[in-house]
Amino acid sequence: MTTMQMTRSFFLNSAVVGLVMIALLLAGFSAASPQMLTKGNIYNILVQSSYLMIFASAQSMVLLTRGYDLSLGNTVSLVSVITAMVLVSPWGQAAGAPILLAALCGLGAAVLIGGLNGTLVAATGLNPFIVTLGTMYIVQALGSTVSGGFPVSGVPAQFMALSRLDVLGVPVQIWTLGLATLALHMLLKWSVYGRSLYLVGANPTAATTAGVKTRMVTAMAYVCCSAFAGLGAILLTARTGSGEPTLGANLTLEAIAAAVVGGISTQGGRGGAVAPLIGAVLITLLSNGMDLVQIDGYVQQICLGMIILIALTLDRFRR
Amino acid sequence: MNDKQQMQAALGTQDEHVLQMSDISKTYGVNRALDEVSFDLRPGEVHVLFGENGAGKSTLIKVLTGNVRPDAGTLTINGQSCGFLTLRGAKAAGISAVFQEFQLAPSLSVVDNLFLGREKTRRGILARAEMQDQARQVLAELGFAIDLEATVGTLTRAQRQMVEICKALLLHASILILDEPTASLNDHEADALLDVVRKLRHRGVGIIYVSHRMREIHEIADRVTVLRSGRYIGTLPRAGLQEAKLVEMMTGRPIAALYPEIRQDPRAMRIRISNLSTVNGAVKDASLTLRAGEIVGIAGLMGSGKSEIGQALFGLLPIRSGQIEMDGTLIKPRNPSAMLARHLCYFPPDRNVGGLAVSRPVLENGSMTGLSLNMFSRFGFLRRRNERSEVMKAMKAVRLRPLDLTLPVGSLSGGNMQKVLLARGLVRNTEVFVFDEPTVGIDVGAKAEIYDLLKSLVEKGAAVLMISSDLQEVLRLSNRVYVVTEGRTVAELCGDQKTEDNVLKGFFGHAPKIRKEGVA
Ligand SMILES: Nc1ncnc2c1ncn2[C@@H]1O[C@H](COP(=O)(O)OP(=O)(O)OP(=O)(O)O)[C@@H](O)[C@H]1O
Ligand SMILES: [Mg+2]
Repeated sequence: MTTMQMTRSFFLNSAVVGLVMIALLLAGFSAASPQMLTKGNIYNILVQSSYLMIFASAQSMVLLTRGYDLSLGNTVSLVSVITAMVLVSPWGQAAGAPILLAALCGLGAAVLIGGLNGTLVAATGLNPFIVTLGTMYIVQALGSTVSGGFPVSGVPAQFMALSRLDVLGVPVQIWTLGLATLALHMLLKWSVYGRSLYLVGANPTAATTAGVKTRMVTAMAYVCCSAFAGLGAILLTARTGSGEPTLGANLTLEAIAAAVVGGISTQGGRGGAVAPLIGAVLITLLSNGMDLVQIDGYVQQICLGMIILIALTLDRFRR
Repeated sequence: MNDKQQMQAALGTQDEHVLQMSDISKTYGVNRALDEVSFDLRPGEVHVLFGENGAGKSTLIKVLTGNVRPDAGTLTINGQSCGFLTLRGAKAAGISAVFQEFQLAPSLSVVDNLFLGREKTRRGILARAEMQDQARQVLAELGFAIDLEATVGTLTRAQRQMVEICKALLLHASILILDEPTASLNDHEADALLDVVRKLRHRGVGIIYVSHRMREIHEIADRVTVLRSGRYIGTLPRAGLQEAKLVEMMTGRPIAALYPEIRQDPRAMRIRISNLSTVNGAVKDASLTLRAGEIVGIAGLMGSGKSEIGQALFGLLPIRSGQIEMDGTLIKPRNPSAMLARHLCYFPPDRNVGGLAVSRPVLENGSMTGLSLNMFSRFGFLRRRNERSEVMKAMKAVRLRPLDLTLPVGSLSGGNMQKVLLARGLVRNTEVFVFDEPTVGIDVGAKAEIYDLLKSLVEKGAAVLMISSDLQEVLRLSNRVYVVTEGRTVAELCGDQKTEDNVLKGFFGHAPKIRKEGVA
């Protein structure tokens, strides 16, 4: 390989681009603010990115099949509301294991939404953008109706304690971060389902001809996406301490952004398990750093938008 | 090498060349695709590029069209040294090409594709009628019948090939490059193209022609340049063209017979199709039988419905009426995975569309059909070591080059992509093989090896259905041949009846209706 080709492929390698950007941001922000590199702040960034990382992983599964899930954010809100409502309801307390029951109800709702998305996309061949835009409104309306538009407060302290666990002196979220990446890696690289995801994303016709059950694989991607999102929603609810009907408001786009910035291709069939991790850390770091140096919220959004555009441009060149 | 010195001596007079490429090199990773290759072209000649799969033919061509930037070498066009070309520069220099792997927009219509990026306008408004007229003219000259308003994605590979050719001809180039333009055409259709090539040669166009088909090379080559493993081997003038000599230059060794003697030993009936018709109307009334231990060929012109018989059998096309029996019991082919489970595997004709996931590595493409087998997975998880060794075995059997399972399939040469496609039927226990154009783009040497592979499959008791537009292939390898015309099996030829004449009679016996072209 000539040096030029090597440099080119090195810089187009998504993980490298992500890590370089992270290093640059760290260097820049730590020069501007002494707080940046404190242990507390680093933990803080990792803890925050663990949630985004879960949502980005969810979104990645759908992106791999050349789809999107626009309803993800509202699913998160709905799951949060349902979980909290079951927790505070009298029969939630009476059941003996209120947290388990609440989590199951929340996840159940998420799986139903994913099933609806998946069935519509796979069975009808409709554009995922349109389908999930439709379910997005339905789920949003459900969330507001169920909660009456107000946060559901008063969840038990044991539930909130879930987010403050330390295992071996490390916050539970950082464990989540590592375990979720590992699980996604196992799924994508070692399971038949993960392999099928890549094949379907790369060329659905060829996958079908080779005997891959393309529709089933596609539908399941939406179910997994929603289930992952539901899991993240429950953890996030434990952290906020109440069921929030607007919990996921910005999450859809942030999750897509994190996945794409990390290197999941929007053209399908490309990108690995570390992508959501790198993308989530990058985006969280960016907003954390900008908070530290007191950059205006709107400017922050401009920066986020620019990061997404850069990622998409790189994605084009990589092909 | 002697030939090389002679060749370079012959390059003396520069001005008579439209094109001169000297010492072009290009490396991909550790793979030298081109190693100091020189090539030249005179106006009004057909210069054939010949060589094995992966020899570097397409790469040399892509240097000329600006798709590939070489690492070293010089390029002179019309006596002007022009450094290296960009896509735009190549167009401006009057170079137009038909690429091996098509470059069409599947969601657009045929006319839109033909004029993509250089649409004709009148005061800023698309001049559709004018574009259609021009397109119709070129198609008529070629004798191709294609509906100009059809969406390209719905066309067969052969039809898309025709669109590509037509697109290149519309440019009125002074250098025309044809990279395996006839790979999925039958002889009849290829002849029409050869006539046009002769006309263009007469007009002074310089033509670079890549083909693995000896018949065509004999018909139109003025000179033949042979490449092997990215190196220039030699150039033969028309007078010195001998098939054996060419093949030896190409492979570095003489090749025995292309078509092996296959011991056809028909045994138990595996497949019986009776009065089959498909919902889309491509197949109207097809009946055939296929036994273990024999190769049955299906011959038909483009659009005759021969491909669709295979697709229906594999569950890819909905069936309207008729019966399919497998091993004596009626079956309904619902989807490919169900048919694979019955040990029947179908190999699609178009490696890029239905065949391969080109952005994924050879390994994943090779094991695609076998993922659910115990050999490849257990409890839903891949057994990657088994996968690697089985796929490696299959790729060795088809002689993949380079033999590297980690390369994305899209970076292989055309013929090697085709080998990956064939190999994936070998990773599982397949008993009934349905091939649709199995040897598209495969070089003569590799073809002989693939035919040997077929021979060993059949002699071990496999049943093979071979749908092909290569008439020689069908006639020489098959035990029986069905002729398909307008969706009907109109003749079954066995023994002495298997002649080219009889097949052609079958094609034209029922005067084929010419499809209306360009309904605006
Ligand atoms: N984009 C690429 N990346 C890596 N390797 C490549 C790429 N394109 C071509 N090659 C390699 O370069 C070599 C020459 O390929 P090329 O396509 O020129 O062969 P060819 O002579 O046209 O063969 P065929 O008859 O099969 O079409 C092959 O070994 C191929 O694997
Ligand atoms: Mg080629």
